[in-house]
Amino acid sequence: MEGNNIKYWKGLEELNNEPSFLKNVHDEFPNQPTVDDNSPESDSISGTHRRDFLKLLGFSVAAATLAACEAPVRKAIPYLNKPEDVDPSVANWYASSYVDGGDYCSVLVKTREGRPIKIEGNKYSSVTKGGVSARVQASVLSLYDNERLKGALEKGKAISWSDADTKIKSQLEAIALKGGNIRLVTSTILSPSTKAAIAEFTSKYPTAKQVVYDENSSYGILAANQKAFDKYALPTLDFTKASKVIVSIGADFLGTWISPIEYAKQYAENRKVGKAKKEMSRHYQFESVLSLTGSNADHRTTIKPSQVGAVVASLYSALNGGSASKDFPFLAEAAKDLLAAKGQSLVVSDSNDENVQSVVIAINALLGNYGSTIDINRQSNYRQGNDAAVSAFIADVAAGSVDAVIFYGVNPLYSHPLASKLKGSLNKVSLKISLADRLDETASECDFVCPDNHFLESWSDAEPVSGKYSLVQPTISKLFNTRQGQESLLAWTGAKVEFYNYVQNFWKANVFPKQSTYSTFNEFWNRALHDGVFELALAPSASTPNVDVNAAISAISSSKSSSELEVVFYEKIGVGVGRQANNPWVQEFPDPISKATWDNYVAVPISYAKEKGLKQNDVVKLQFKNSSEVIELPVLIQPGQAKGTVSVALGYGRTKAGKAANNVGKNVFPFVSTQGNALVYNSTVTLTKTGATRQIAQTQVHQTIMGRHNVQEATLADYVKKNGKDHHTGKLVGDMAGRYVPMINVAEGGNAEGKKAPETISIWSEKPNQKMAPNHHWGMVIDLNSCIGCGSCVIGCQAENNVPVVGRQEVINAREMHWIRIDRYYSSAAEEKVGHYQEKEQPEDNPRVVFQPMMCQHCNNAPCETVCPVLATTHSMEGLNQMTYNRCVGTRYCANNCPYKVRRFNWFSYYSNNEFDYNMNNPLGKMVLNPDVTVRARGTMEKCSMCVQRIQEGKLNAKKESRRPQDGEIETACSQSCPTDAIVFGDMLDPESRISKLLNVEKEGRAYHVLEEINVNPSVSYLSKIRNPKV
Amino acid sequence: MHISSAVREPLVTGGKSYGDVTYDIVRHVENKPTKLWFIVMGFSLVLLSLGGFSLYKTWTIGIGAWGLNKTVGWAWDITNFVWWVGIGHAGTLISAVLLLFRQKWRTAVNRAAEAMTIFAVFCAGSFILMHMGRTWLAHWALPLPNTYGSLWVNFNSPLVWDVFAISTYLSVSLVFWYIGMVPDLATIRDRATKPLTKAIYGAFSLGWTGGAKHWQRYEAVSLILAAISTPLVLSVHTIVSMDFATSVIPGWHTTIFPPYFVAGAIFSGFAMVLTLLLVTRKVYKLEHYITMTHIETMNKIVMLTGSVVGVAYITEFFMAWYSGVEYEQYCFLNRMFGPYWWAYWSMMACNVFSPQLLWFKSIRRNLVATFTLSIIVNIGMWFERFVIIVSSLHRDYIPSSWRDFSPTIYDVGDYIFTFGLFFTLFFLFAKYLPVVNMAEVKSVLKSSTDKPSHKSH
Amino acid sequence: MSATNTKYIVGIFDDEEDVLHAIPHIKESGVKIHEVFTPFPVHGLDEVLGYQRSRIDIVAFLFGLTGFLSGLTMISYMLSFDWPMNIGGKSNMPFPDFIPVTFELTVLFTAFGMVITFLIISGLTPWTVPQIFDIRGTDDKFVMAIDLAHNKLSDEQIKEVLTSNGATEVNYKEFKS
Repeated sequence: MEGNNIKYWKGLEELNNEPSFLKNVHDEFPNQPTVDDNSPESDSISGTHRRDFLKLLGFSVAAATLAACEAPVRKAIPYLNKPEDVDPSVANWYASSYVDGGDYCSVLVKTREGRPIKIEGNKYSSVTKGGVSARVQASVLSLYDNERLKGALEKGKAISWSDADTKIKSQLEAIALKGGNIRLVTSTILSPSTKAAIAEFTSKYPTAKQVVYDENSSYGILAANQKAFDKYALPTLDFTKASKVIVSIGADFLGTWISPIEYAKQYAENRKVGKAKKEMSRHYQFESVLSLTGSNADHRTTIKPSQVGAVVASLYSALNGGSASKDFPFLAEAAKDLLAAKGQSLVVSDSNDENVQSVVIAINALLGNYGSTIDINRQSNYRQGNDAAVSAFIADVAAGSVDAVIFYGVNPLYSHPLASKLKGSLNKVSLKISLADRLDETASECDFVCPDNHFLESWSDAEPVSGKYSLVQPTISKLFNTRQGQESLLAWTGAKVEFYNYVQNFWKANVFPKQSTYSTFNEFWNRALHDGVFELALAPSASTPNVDVNAAISAISSSKSSSELEVVFYEKIGVGVGRQANNPWVQEFPDPISKATWDNYVAVPISYAKEKGLKQNDVVKLQFKNSSEVIELPVLIQPGQAKGTVSVALGYGRTKAGKAANNVGKNVFPFVSTQGNALVYNSTVTLTKTGATRQIAQTQVHQTIMGRHNVQEATLADYVKKNGKDHHTGKLVGDMAGRYVPMINVAEGGNAEGKKAPETISIWSEKPNQKMAPNHHWGMVIDLNSCIGCGSCVIGCQAENNVPVVGRQEVINAREMHWIRIDRYYSSAAEEKVGHYQEKEQPEDNPRVVFQPMMCQHCNNAPCETVCPVLATTHSMEGLNQMTYNRCVGTRYCANNCPYKVRRFNWFSYYSNNEFDYNMNNPLGKMVLNPDVTVRARGTMEKCSMCVQRIQEGKLNAKKESRRPQDGEIETACSQSCPTDAIVFGDMLDPESRISKLLNVEKEGRAYHVLEEINVNPSVSYLSKIRNPKV
Repeated sequence: MHISSAVREPLVTGGKSYGDVTYDIVRHVENKPTKLWFIVMGFSLVLLSLGGFSLYKTWTIGIGAWGLNKTVGWAWDITNFVWWVGIGHAGTLISAVLLLFRQKWRTAVNRAAEAMTIFAVFCAGSFILMHMGRTWLAHWALPLPNTYGSLWVNFNSPLVWDVFAISTYLSVSLVFWYIGMVPDLATIRDRATKPLTKAIYGAFSLGWTGGAKHWQRYEAVSLILAAISTPLVLSVHTIVSMDFATSVIPGWHTTIFPPYFVAGAIFSGFAMVLTLLLVTRKVYKLEHYITMTHIETMNKIVMLTGSVVGVAYITEFFMAWYSGVEYEQYCFLNRMFGPYWWAYWSMMACNVFSPQLLWFKSIRRNLVATFTLSIIVNIGMWFERFVIIVSSLHRDYIPSSWRDFSPTIYDVGDYIFTFGLFFTLFFLFAKYLPVVNMAEVKSVLKSSTDKPSHKSH
Repeated sequence: MSATNTKYIVGIFDDEEDVLHAIPHIKESGVKIHEVFTPFPVHGLDEVLGYQRSRIDIVAFLFGLTGFLSGLTMISYMLSFDWPMNIGGKSNMPFPDFIPVTFELTVLFTAFGMVITFLIISGLTPWTVPQIFDIRGTDDKFVMAIDLAHNKLSDEQIKEVLTSNGATEVNYKEFKS
């Protein structure tokens, strides 16, 4: 395929440009014979039956890509015993692994007609256990990124691979010959075979040295472990075993810290409660930024970054019988709980200060957690970066002692605090090569750019945790004339080898021998490929660190807390460190806490804003301690932000990432400071008001729940009590924990107080006639206790249902299109009071946070259905509230009358419209569209369909085998993408389904409907939230 | 049978004869348009074209051109719709209800009022079309046989009720108006000198001669039309109010809406009639036909309906408090003190407080005061609909979705379009059709005029 | 109309009172009145001329009934029989929801049915050529037409009767046929 003039035919008609095709190509509905042919503009719309419309749309999208499917299918083994060749309209599933630097997730890739269109979790992996994150699911769109390079470049000009190879090879050899230094700057490498390839490279060029750089470095832990265990590695954490107490000092392990998917999955296990199991872990969080983890904690204490050392030290002394510092609320309680839960607790910190981590090691050792919740012998490979080596490398470049540098999977000119220094001196390096997939900040400074494949186009493997191997297999042949980084490196060593064979050989030599289950390698290989993973059983083993705690503590205490305003640089769940910044899904993904999209900003505490007279959206100048450079950012008033601190997200302000990312927000990597060799993600700053304002695009602007009952919660203490009413709150306790049960006064047929449950009231004697008895009733139960608010479901839904991206301005206009949103509420001091509405709007300084996934509730007395004049939204026999898009005339009455405000209107045409130049505006980006789901036209209403297309598929598969669909066979996009299994989808008429069983137990327990009192009778139930504070 | 009490002031002053009546009215049709007419007509045409452009943009860009959002799905569009429909109530009400009540004073004003009604309903209708996401499919709201299988419309939906109510109202009003005009058109025909004029008015006057037999049937017909138009006119705004009353949204879900909306409609309708008549009266020197008595009577009705509306507002609040429903209670407090407090208080000032001035006879009989008040009332009634729609929607059940609404230039432009449409039509009517129902005026002339005389021209 | 021209004697009155008083006398004196034309409805005129009351109201009622029934049938057929659907969990025969549309259709049918009937029976169409005995009949005069063909009395006698009963003018009028 010649990348630059790549062309996909939408079928033969386009190939020979038939006029009929050209006429129809932009029609919502291609023409059909119609009653009103004489009205030209209406016939293209009204003359079509729904099915034809779906068929045609499906086809025109699907056909777009038939060109792009050959090679990988030949070699791969489809997941669910599917035939190896592609049958149109039938999805093929491949097990693979998402690997992005040190981030890892074992995934299943759904391909349609040879196009990867969706990424889901792989349950066979014991590491991620079928979990996925928003970023992982969004990565499928990055594959179809138009900004990716279409071939190799030399000094910005296209060059053939062979020429590039010969030139590079000769230069490298020349350099090696004269003993010039060659540096291979890479991200963390999870892949053992890639490591082997690099080893080959370095052995061919003895002067070559690998430098591993992590944007989000965990150097502190690595160095501390180096000292304590003589292992430069991360331990494997097991939150499932930390069933009693978890203390995190700044580590956002549910959101962004090291391996959030893995940890979230484990964490949730100890947070789920039920009538049977009325116990859960208690979670203390000490942090500056209100992180996703902090918002799920039972006790959250705000501290300055400069206090981290003090907290850790104080905790250590408290655990040793000393007394915890009074400056930190709940520290004493935490210590007490920890001592009571030896071996069932876990203390983690994200500090990059080696000494702090040493103390943390000491604490966990003291609590006997090594061997149970922490295992250093089974190491995690997620972070291998060496800050010392990187700064040494930059020094060398500056000194002119580096002759060749290869950047592989890193973009230091964007992401390193010393970027400007490096950039200034990079011209001293005679040969600069980048393997980046685009002409990014670093690549654009290089002589050669040899673009790497997307992971969905590549063969590779990964060893996230020692002994747990997983494979990366391509699910589509290369879209452009790119080449895997490993193949490039090998090519320059002189070996012309396909990395597929290389990986296979590596496994034959190194992995196959480690097992005994399979006799022949083929069997073994096919199995591994089918499962996506191959795991060796390793028992956790204890180990005693040797830490000089006192030295560490004294080192800590030497760094005293400052009175200046401290700034914290943190990662957002969506954008992270900006590797996928050019992915519009990621950019429009609302931050779980601030609900902000398309920007970064300065989050300031409420108190600070009050005293400095700052308002939301005021633009301020940031002058950082360690830099002369100044940036301007809008202010976001953030409840829960520690006093004396502000925070700014990393990963924004890309300049050469592409349309979606360029100049979105500001880059704060240059202000990341260093302590010793380690990168420290905080600094001090002074803010000055500029007088300008820039509106932050938030999907939710009202902060509090106004004392309403759509979220219901209780404490574990109340939950374990006997049934009854709590005298203080008046709430029901015991099994009905925190429930609010509305009752309506009725004339007759009421209970003792003359009241009746809303959902038992109806003015209709008979129900709508339904020709036959309903076969299923689909529904959902959402456990507010396990929902951590990560937003994985939002992207899962967006990918599954072709939800358009609308851009910053439209989000500001409150017109984002996400079908599922996660409502986030802060507690307010006036919560329990009657009236006091003005106060209720004000969140607390350090609020309790609750997340509530909200999508169409599929009401069985749906207000939207009643008011639609044209019957475009009606109720299905299976309890679904269904939208008939092409019947909709767009009165928006349904949206107005929806009490949950979950309906979304197509204000504009969001596809093929230059006003919305995102993935739906170019043929490549459109390849990600799901052919099973209509792309909605301008002027129509849309909303969550409970993934009706998945339900239909499941039912058809069952029908083919003449059986009922089994429970779990059909999953909605949101339920499958939930890393904590908070969403249970199923058939409420099937007594064996999880949902029926769950509801049977919880009907008289935690299950409730939002807005039960208005009797719309939803099919979605929620389980009230249980918190576990120390009483 | 002549029902008129001597104490009443005459409805037609200046001792007019039948001939004078004909002359005073028809001359405006026969003479060349005045300079003033050209000016006002030009002005309305400018509005029409400006608005037309804005409308064109709205339809090419998409409804997104307006300031609406995921939470506030209706704002200016439906506000304007309800506002125009409300205005469109006075005409039929005057001619129908007052005919049944044998209110003779109506004769001077009903023609113009009905015309206004019809044009207002046109404007309202244009918003029904405008607010649709896919206007080109508007006909889907009708129960038409179609190629989609037997897919009909949803008779549970108040919007479908609207479609039937508005179209029935419009067509029946048109018929009523036209039938009422036939004899006058015949008069113009018979006086016409130019053949073309004669032909046109001849065709529209349906060969009316004024024979006793025809008059007999004609009277019966107009009486029955009046009889059925009365419930019709009441039904229209009742049904419009059901768009809100049948929903679940706090602030909409209110059973007093039908009477409350009808009162409001009459209120704004009469205000608009006053606004227009005071102008017409001045321009066409019709002081003898549209007398102070007329103006005062209408002012009294404005005052009454204004107070009814005021009571309705208070009742709403009482119900919100008495119901004990937290959402209702918050909704109404939010109206008063929330982000849209200014809209709420403008509404109260214009609709409830200002009409109370009309208790004073001096103000009721003061042209300037009446004119100003009539405009204030219409502003107030616009705010009433805005408050009901936007302030209820923008903060309903789930706080996470609470958002504010602010209009765009296209919201304004499309509103301007309807003004252009309305005035253009009205001035055309004023020029080419008899603005006062001559036949009816003549029929009450004897009974009501001071010192009848038979002198003719 | 007969093949020959029809001749009329036309009496012009200045005031409705005069016509009302004149008609009984004119009738007594044996003159058949063809029709009386007035610029506005003169109450009681139909009685003195001896017309029996119009039955248009019955027509109106029948049309109203038609509208009502067709409304009900249409809605219940479409909503409940042709394609019953579950709409917001309502019953398929939600009678309260039928009321508004049924009512509107009743009114619509009544109005149009009645008006169209009226225009047809009165021969009022855009292409009707009216028999105008005196153009002032739609302005300020009250015009009485007497068809000579249907009267035994001589022209002079008729003129006499008219003038003696307050006609201010008496003219001849011929219509070509």
